[in-house]
Amino acid sequence: MVDHSGGGRGDSAGDKAREEFFSEAQEIVDGLSRDLLALDDVCRRGGSDAELVNDVFRAVHTLKGLSGLFGATMMSGLSHELENLLDDLRLGRIELTSQVLDLLFQSVELYGRILAAAKGDGSEPGAEVKALLAALGQVAHQKGGGGGSIVAQYELDPGLLGVLTEYEEHRLRTNLQAGLFLYRLRVQFQLSTIDSALDDLKAKTRPHGEIITFLPTGEGGDAETVELEILVASREGLSVLGAAVAGPNVSIEEVRRRDAAPPVMGRDSMRPQPALSDAPPPITSFGAPSTALETMDVDAYLEGVRTSRPPPPTGTVGPVDAVSQSPPAAMTGFPTAGASVPPPSAPPPAVPQGAAQAQRELTLRSVTQTVRVDIRKLDRLMNIVGELAIVRSAVSRLTEHVRRDGQLHEFATTLTRLHRSFERHLTQMQNGILEVRMVPLGQVFDKLARIVRQISRENDKQVNLVVTGAETEIDKLIVEELSDPLMHMIRNAIDHGIEDRDERMRVQKPSVGTIALNAFQKGNHVVIEVEDDGKGMDRAVILAAAIRRGLVTEAEGREMSTKDVLAFVFHAGFTTRDEATNLSGRGVGMDIVKTNIAKLGGVVDIASDVGIGTKMTITLPITLAIISVLIVEVAGRTFCMPLASVEEAIVFDEAAVRTFEGREVMTQRGTTLPIARLAKLFQLEGHRAGVWFNEAAKIPAAPAASRSGRPKSYVVIAAVAGRRVGFVVDGLIGQQDIVIKALGRSLKKVRGLAGATELGDQRVGLVLDAAALIAEVLASVPVEAARHHAIAMGAESGTARRRIETANGGYE
Amino acid sequence: MNHDWPEGDANPEMLGRDLLRGASPKTLARRMEGRSALQRVDELGKRAEYLAFTLGPEAYAIEIGSIVEILKPLPITEVPRATPDVIGVMSVRGRLVTVLDLKARFRLPRSFTMDRKSRILLVDAVDEEIGLLVDEVLQVYRLSEAEIEPPTVLGSEQAPHVVGIARPQVTAGDAVLLLLDLAPLFAE
Repeated sequence: MVDHSGGGRGDSAGDKAREEFFSEAQEIVDGLSRDLLALDDVCRRGGSDAELVNDVFRAVHTLKGLSGLFGATMMSGLSHELENLLDDLRLGRIELTSQVLDLLFQSVELYGRILAAAKGDGSEPGAEVKALLAALGQVAHQKGGGGGSIVAQYELDPGLLGVLTEYEEHRLRTNLQAGLFLYRLRVQFQLSTIDSALDDLKAKTRPHGEIITFLPTGEGGDAETVELEILVASREGLSVLGAAVAGPNVSIEEVRRRDAAPPVMGRDSMRPQPALSDAPPPITSFGAPSTALETMDVDAYLEGVRTSRPPPPTGTVGPVDAVSQSPPAAMTGFPTAGASVPPPSAPPPAVPQGAAQAQRELTLRSVTQTVRVDIRKLDRLMNIVGELAIVRSAVSRLTEHVRRDGQLHEFATTLTRLHRSFERHLTQMQNGILEVRMVPLGQVFDKLARIVRQISRENDKQVNLVVTGAETEIDKLIVEELSDPLMHMIRNAIDHGIEDRDERMRVQKPSVGTIALNAFQKGNHVVIEVEDDGKGMDRAVILAAAIRRGLVTEAEGREMSTKDVLAFVFHAGFTTRDEATNLSGRGVGMDIVKTNIAKLGGVVDIASDVGIGTKMTITLPITLAIISVLIVEVAGRTFCMPLASVEEAIVFDEAAVRTFEGREVMTQRGTTLPIARLAKLFQLEGHRAGVWFNEAAKIPAAPAASRSGRPKSYVVIAAVAGRRVGFVVDGLIGQQDIVIKALGRSLKKVRGLAGATELGDQRVGLVLDAAALIAEVLASVPVEAARHHAIAMGAESGTARRRIETANGGYE
Repeated sequence: MNHDWPEGDANPEMLGRDLLRGASPKTLARRMEGRSALQRVDELGKRAEYLAFTLGPEAYAIEIGSIVEILKPLPITEVPRATPDVIGVMSVRGRLVTVLDLKARFRLPRSFTMDRKSRILLVDAVDEEIGLLVDEVLQVYRLSEAEIEPPTVLGSEQAPHVVGIARPQVTAGDAVLLLLDLAPLFAE
């Protein structure tokens, strides 16, 4: 992180995500350690604290999920077993003894070492983890004592057990008591041929074992296939049975006993054992078909496993379930259960003394180099940079002054050099802070991948999501606000863009629809495209609907560009009244999309070709520039004054104004306040809105006259870097949060304006640059003189006044 | 004939590309090489398409490739302290666009109007899009080399943005168009 400001963004998003994973995991482990210490304390005093146990349980659970996501198999294996133990603790199945606490503390140390090893600091504590897992197994084993049904000792889903018939339950129990192995098969059947295929499978299984039950899983299937979960009891090992039932749509796994002890010794080493990772345990796949999306995930995951690093989250977005089910987890996950677990009679193995010492030394040091920072702290830093920029411009003016003087040539050169250096570093600092706020868009794309799966299943459409540019970085705050609009857009694309399979076949498109999610940086903006290869939007249909709704006349419609016509879908409730058309629903939530994107200072565009597809393009600023402004009226025109620089606004009293050197000042709370009439400053002539409409500029209502007969006006007191100026305006309209946009290059030379924003009904409001205006008002009085001036005004004495004159004379 | 403007964004080829600035790379490339529209026409020896519009009593035309979009007038907010040829800023689907009054640029008699015929031509300039307020959009002309005369026929010294004079033969009347190159207008 340290080098970022200077050296560009060398880090890939994968590294960044991995960094985040480390820091989060480290944080949880630290918290876990604190909770355990507290628990130990409570325990020693002979009490117990259910809430603390719950906290520890939740922490481990989170770690499990996190490590599963990042393919950290050793960590997720350890977490899984710990979670079981803690669950038992929580539910009172086992007692919280000091032995159990020891194991928990050991786990914290091991977590630390695993994290350190993953960062290349020391070796993975494989043996120790195995030993700890075994010890945990021992503890778990003690609780039940075989008291319950043998069935309960197997890792079977309670939901599944609940639906077994009495006979099936009986067969299950009998088989297990006879010492047979239990296997879970997941088989996908074509609906049309399910009867014969099932008979076929039964015939294949019969020589090896008994099918106890089969149930539809409700997942993995689509309109034409169904997935069944089949429980088989068999005397054979996994490989034998697996070979017997192997088929293109079959996956098989062993249902293990909960205590993780092998049912029969000696045989387990011959069989591949499922990893201790996640429930449901990994499945040994025999070429089960997967959707394109899943294939991508597995590929990404494989890569992650090969390099024994978390998978790079770029490009392909990995739904959690796909990761945990992927075959390599079973083959390469290191904490393989059976092989490492000693016979049940052995005492819990102690971690060797020397190793324990080494662990302690290692884990006292945190492995992460990352700090999590509240984004508001960064905002504060940014504000300071803003203040420094003002100082810089003052120094710049002084430098210029000295340079022109000519007498102090050497001094001027040095000063100029220093100033340039200051300027450069300030820019670097600004960029550095901005960069810290940047996060990869992959964060939100990850969520979208899951939503695509879900929605496409709901709609019974096969959709392939192709993601590019997940590593594109954008302001953290923008990412947070992006997920809803993007979700709406994707939902719309699937609901209304992608045709159903029959229709796609008819128009000779691939049966699987494609949604492309592309992100890239373009200048100071980030562009996100959501593109589908669906049926597209028909200009004529949309226009007809818009005309029916009275949004445009027919004549106007003919002249409109296609872009403008398509933009009608962003009208609130545009299509809901036209349910008869094939457009119905397109536009649901689209008005929200537009509003939300606009709030972020972004723009949405639609392009669509009937029969080919639709592309929506979001263009967003890289950083969020939302500011609060005070909207004021001057000579009928509307301006926005950034609230950050507004001290207060008071009613203007013309009688309180005094003039010095042609400069107007007033006394406010005992101090002198230079004032500037904005209308005069901007040379605004006449009283009009300053907005050109179709006809002429609309004339606003004449300003209301106050009792004195003069129009009532206000002074907005603005202060930047301790310099204050009161700006006289005609009216205060209100306060608003706006997104500030930079004026075009052709207006760069206009001083006093920071940018502009949209104020509703398409009107643009100009945002005042308070710092520049204040500087300008005080400009003819150099800093030093202004100070004298203030003193002089306070004293209001003749001698003081003379001093100003000399001061002014000295500079000008 | 009025507003007979081919919808650029209906082109299916555009979908895969950048939609907003479909023509800009070409335009920019041309500008960078500093070649005028006329030279380009010479080289191609083919017809080039120009959009004709009026400013007061005079008719002008600019190459279609440099036009991003034709807009009906939107509310334009005047910008204090801007140069006199700046009418103001407007928001086109969320983007800020500076609108220029070409009449002020060409020192034509100022008759600043915005009525039902007024249009704003959105064009690519350096680093931004600029709106040009015109009184009326006439039509698209496909001009051949033979129909274009060099600007020197008007006199030896012409403003750099005038690249030629066109007398389209398709029109029955004696329409004369001043062909403009936008690049010199924005180069400052």
